[in-house]
Amino acid sequence: MKEIRFENVKKSYGNTEVVKELDFTIHEGERLILLGPSGCGKSTTLRMIAGLENISSGNLYMGGKLVNDVPSGKREVAMVFQNYALYPHMTVKQNIVYALRMKKVPKKEIAARLEDALTMLQLRGLEDRLPKDLSGGQRQRVALARAVVKQADFFLLDEPLSNLDAQLRVSARKELVKIHEKYKQTIVYVTHDQIEAMTVGDRIALLNEGVLQMIDTPENVYHRPANIFTAKFIGAPPTNILEMVYYDGHIQFGFQKMAIPDGWVGQIKKAKSTEMVFGIRPEHVEIMKEPRENVMFATVKSVENLGAEYAVYLDFHNEEVIVLSSEKEWHAGEQVYIRPNVQHMHIFDKATTNSIGYPERMVSRVPVFN
Amino acid sequence: MKISKKVSVPWHIVFLITIFLLIFPIVFAVGSSFKTLQDAYNNPLSLFSLNPTLENYQTFFDSLPALQITLNTFLIASVVTIFKVVTSFLAAYAFVYFIFKGKNTLYFILISTIFLPFTVTMIPNYLIISNLGLSDSLWGVVLPQLADAMGIFLLTQALRTIPVSLIEVARLDDMSHWQIMRDIVLPLARPAVTSTSIWFFITAWNEYVWPVLILKSTENFTLPLALQMYISSEGGTNFTVAMAVSVITMIIPLALYLMFQRYIIGTFTSSGIK
Repeated sequence: MKEIRFENVKKSYGNTEVVKELDFTIHEGERLILLGPSGCGKSTTLRMIAGLENISSGNLYMGGKLVNDVPSGKREVAMVFQNYALYPHMTVKQNIVYALRMKKVPKKEIAARLEDALTMLQLRGLEDRLPKDLSGGQRQRVALARAVVKQADFFLLDEPLSNLDAQLRVSARKELVKIHEKYKQTIVYVTHDQIEAMTVGDRIALLNEGVLQMIDTPENVYHRPANIFTAKFIGAPPTNILEMVYYDGHIQFGFQKMAIPDGWVGQIKKAKSTEMVFGIRPEHVEIMKEPRENVMFATVKSVENLGAEYAVYLDFHNEEVIVLSSEKEWHAGEQVYIRPNVQHMHIFDKATTNSIGYPERMVSRVPVFN
Repeated sequence: MKISKKVSVPWHIVFLITIFLLIFPIVFAVGSSFKTLQDAYNNPLSLFSLNPTLENYQTFFDSLPALQITLNTFLIASVVTIFKVVTSFLAAYAFVYFIFKGKNTLYFILISTIFLPFTVTMIPNYLIISNLGLSDSLWGVVLPQLADAMGIFLLTQALRTIPVSLIEVARLDDMSHWQIMRDIVLPLARPAVTSTSIWFFITAWNEYVWPVLILKSTENFTLPLALQMYISSEGGTNFTVAMAVSVITMIIPLALYLMFQRYIIGTFTSSGIK
């Protein structure tokens, strides 16, 4: 029972509500990512789990026990901070074993855990260095080692990789997954980086302005966003969101229209929304020079080189549509044709911004990351 | 920090003048302490006597219980320093790491006492000490000096430069405040604590007005009071002896400074924490 359960948890500083109402469960042994833009309350949420912030109202359960008033030290958590928080006056080894020594863990046990951590995190040979004599990547590994040796039930990480360069981040991510596979702690991981969220997470909890937007697997968060915010936040470039009208088996944008499958027709009819918006990811829109079946036209505004692909910015009924293309030959002012892949479309209620859901038989078509 | 040579020449001249102004009185005092009074009056500007003599030091040791006085000064300064540092450090720790109602108000009130002139508290303190029957005793000198708002202020500032996450890590590891203070905060604040201690020591060592009010008998005197004996109108001014006492008075703080100067400079130039 190493799960963490939020029950109507709120956090406010004075009159500012940072976390508005959290109601979800983090399962035992999973890697849950708290994702969101800066200031969305994700770090505050993590710090509430750690007991470093009080809860303004609601209940927080950890391992089945109510912990609202349980101090940090009694919560069985290990935490890695963004700035690593290594004790600057202690060597690598002292940093790693200090808490164990204070807790009077038997010496043999300390030595064994230290050996394990040093090997796993490739810190051998650095035991007697001070943090200031280590590189960023090494410091980060020491911070991880210090948290790992505690063998706590809950493992909290607050943007642990954000001070590393891109290459180190990739290897650090792998290390983290390796650690988790060995110790199976319940991991809560805060990040604003969606790649990190996708690669590390078993599930992602997306927060915005202190409100939980969606909590689901990375695949579902990407392919079946629960609302417009999720659709736009996840993926780069972001999902295109367009005003639309449904009419007789078609979706109409201005004077142009597009046929949609029966499944979606049923879904739209089932939804009681009066006004809806259409969403499609840039990689799910085909772009072409010559018209074909079921296409609509748009005008090229600009082209951005993303390396592997080009992002083509289009003017489509005075709204911006971004399309990814492997071709380079797109010129500003040029008229082009686009065809959204209706297997990958999303429809949201305009008022609530929530997804109206997906047709039943399309579930199997949701591609799954390998 | 690199200064290009062009800039450094005028700067060096400024430094040299400053150093000269600061050093001259000390050299003058040392030089005069080895002169006879007549020699000193005849050649006031010659820094060193052609016939150096120890008679000024001899006079001091003969006319007053000089060893006792030096010991008194050392005892008072040490006790005051130890108490002030301990009380300041504990208070600073509480102000930085404890969360309690009215913390900021309390801190503000405390810090504002720095701006109270000594003369405001002098008379009430004197009355309290004499009612306690502690006048003309070393405890009477020590007692009102055991806590100090300036020390709390300096150490609070120093503790605030320690990243909070270090304390949070320790809290997550179920450390007591005592362990956090001893193993984390104190080692990281050591440069600040050391320099504050030296500053306390020197201030207490040089303290004049308060001991003058409290201490009556010569065997309880401190060095600054002994010094005053040779320049007051009553004893007649014997300034070469006064210079000899001055030299004795400055040796101990100077030695302390030289021993710990890297900490003192460190505190003023950086927080000492990377």
